[in-house]
Amino acid sequence: MESGIGIGLTAIGAGLAVGLAAIGTGLAQARIGSAGAGVIAEKPEALGTIILLVAIPETMVILGFAVAAMILLLGG
Amino acid sequence: MNIDMLPIEIVGLKAELTRTVDILRQLGFVQIETLADMGEISARPLSLAPEILRSQEEMSVLLARIEGLLDLLPGEPFTQREFSMPQNPLEEARENIETLLPKVQHLTAQQEKLKAELSSLPRYEATLRKLLPIIPSSARRPGNVTVGVLVSRLHVGVLDSIGKKIMDMTEGLADVIASDVGSSTHAMLVVFPQEFTAEVETMLGREDVSRLRLPAELGQGPPDVILGTLQHRINTIPLELKDLERQMALISKEWSLKLAAWRRALQEALEKNAILSHFGETDQTFVIGGWVPDKYFPELIAELKDAVGETVLVRRLALTAEMKKQAPIILKNPAAAQPFESLVNLLALPRYGRIDPTQLMAFFLPIFFGMILGDIGYGLVLLALSLTFTRRIQPGTARDILKVLAIGAGWSVVFGVLYGEAFGTLGEHWGLHAVWFDRASSEHVAGLLVMTLAVGAVHLTLGLVLGVLEAARDKSRGHLLERGGMLVGLISLFILVGALSGYLPDELKTPAWAGMLTGITLLGASMGWLGVLMGPIEFIGLIGNLLSYLRIAAIGLASVYLAKVANDIAGMAGNLVVGAIIAVLIHALNLVLGAFSPTIHSLRLHYVEFFRKFYEGGGRAYQPYKSNF
Repeated sequence: MESGIGIGLTAIGAGLAVGLAAIGTGLAQARIGSAGAGVIAEKPEALGTIILLVAIPETMVILGFAVAAMILLLGG
Repeated sequence: MNIDMLPIEIVGLKAELTRTVDILRQLGFVQIETLADMGEISARPLSLAPEILRSQEEMSVLLARIEGLLDLLPGEPFTQREFSMPQNPLEEARENIETLLPKVQHLTAQQEKLKAELSSLPRYEATLRKLLPIIPSSARRPGNVTVGVLVSRLHVGVLDSIGKKIMDMTEGLADVIASDVGSSTHAMLVVFPQEFTAEVETMLGREDVSRLRLPAELGQGPPDVILGTLQHRINTIPLELKDLERQMALISKEWSLKLAAWRRALQEALEKNAILSHFGETDQTFVIGGWVPDKYFPELIAELKDAVGETVLVRRLALTAEMKKQAPIILKNPAAAQPFESLVNLLALPRYGRIDPTQLMAFFLPIFFGMILGDIGYGLVLLALSLTFTRRIQPGTARDILKVLAIGAGWSVVFGVLYGEAFGTLGEHWGLHAVWFDRASSEHVAGLLVMTLAVGAVHLTLGLVLGVLEAARDKSRGHLLERGGMLVGLISLFILVGALSGYLPDELKTPAWAGMLTGITLLGASMGWLGVLMGPIEFIGLIGNLLSYLRIAAIGLASVYLAKVANDIAGMAGNLVVGAIIAVLIHALNLVLGAFSPTIHSLRLHYVEFFRKFYEGGGRAYQPYKSNF
């Protein structure tokens, strides 16, 4: 029973690590993306820079993934 | 790689200016600059003769009129082959446009007027038809005038008052009849002797009611007479429009090709004159500054000598460090790497003489794509789709991206064999087994993560090595300390992790710690006093860059599990057809994600993690002076 609860808590922890990081990334990308769409409408040549700016917050969710993987692989 | 460029100065007698410009335009490989951008050259800006300025203005006005005419005339756009260039386009255009333009404008105005009338008449027809049953016989009597009044049903009481006033005014000689003409409108017809027109009109003007006003073309009279005229107009307007269209088509047939030829001639002449503002002059000579690809320099000298003679001289200017910053760039890469130039340019064109990362991107990006997608089935479908569409679309960025996708799809097949995947887990049913490891199985996930970190370590280290080399070449102390510090710190970190995990001897721990601290110190030193705080933060950012490569594993796993879900749900459907439909739909979704997501993420790993260690964009595209026609 204890190990069952342990597995469940580990899974919830891993899920939170990815999920909360994904929410953070989503919020950041939403703001950058909407501003970026405006910039591209005015200056289409800025597409590369905008992709770069939109992509930067993704590091958060990847770090979340890294933490989740550590929780599952080392803790589980 | 970029092609070597030479800064040049062309000096010649003013009498040879036009011929020289023609030759440069014909050669089409000299990029002409304003003299202010060509440091070494000193000459005052070329002042254009008043007759040239006048002619330019006249040509601009003529061109605007020709374009207006071509917009108005019916017909398809023309290709260059359809018309032959006239002998004296400016003269011809000047002579004919003055008569042609008013004629076409008049016909177009008539067309617009008839179309507007045709669209408004049915509305009047509906109202008039509702009035027909209430027309009194007096309306047809000569000397009588008929007036219609419309009010909202809510204010129907106003009509009684108006009717009474008109009866008083005309001493009972008027006929006043009211009726509903719509769900919300009430109409009143008033017929009265002509001599009361002024008084009745004044009274109706004072009352705030809507008059039933009809277009003047329908004439005066009772509603039934007007309705007849209206129906006649509805029938005849299309015929009149057809006649106008026929006239326009005749004009178009006679003039369109000539207009197109004049337009091209004027555009060419204006374009030719526009470049003159970049030139300089002395009392007797003109001076042109610009850039030419090194390999074309001898050809430029030979061609100018042949065409103009010894009175025009071409001089090679010194390619100083300052000039290099302004040099236009032409990328030169092997055919296989060329599609990746578009992806590099999407961020920024490389600077002249700096590292062009196209070939590095051409090597790494498709491998990253293949590692992420890693599926024989998806890879083959994407390969087939991208190759099919590549042949069908015009050269450009979209076609380059499709070619990149095709190469990535090829690598996806290779990694699909290594991972043992075909449409996710479907390959297992066909006896497919992983040659290297099955990335979806729980025992191999850790290995997959380590593999992607190792790929990231190689990629980042290469980026930092290139960055250090660039900084050393520029003799930039700050960049050298920053990138060198990152490189030392990162390599020390790898050694430390190796020693801690038992892959490297334990004795390496202390030197690795020392190396890492040295790296962080160097990194901090590049930022001055702030570096005490920023150095460690930047180093943590560098570790973040390395962890960012985990996305190769993360997105790949998401794709595998979506494919597995497609197969499992299809298996649970219990019906072959339904199962197949479900599987195709989910696999199609996964395929779209599989084309889009690995491309974006591989690009991001290059733009953010790799390029930022060494790449300096901001180059100027090579735009030689040539005819655009």
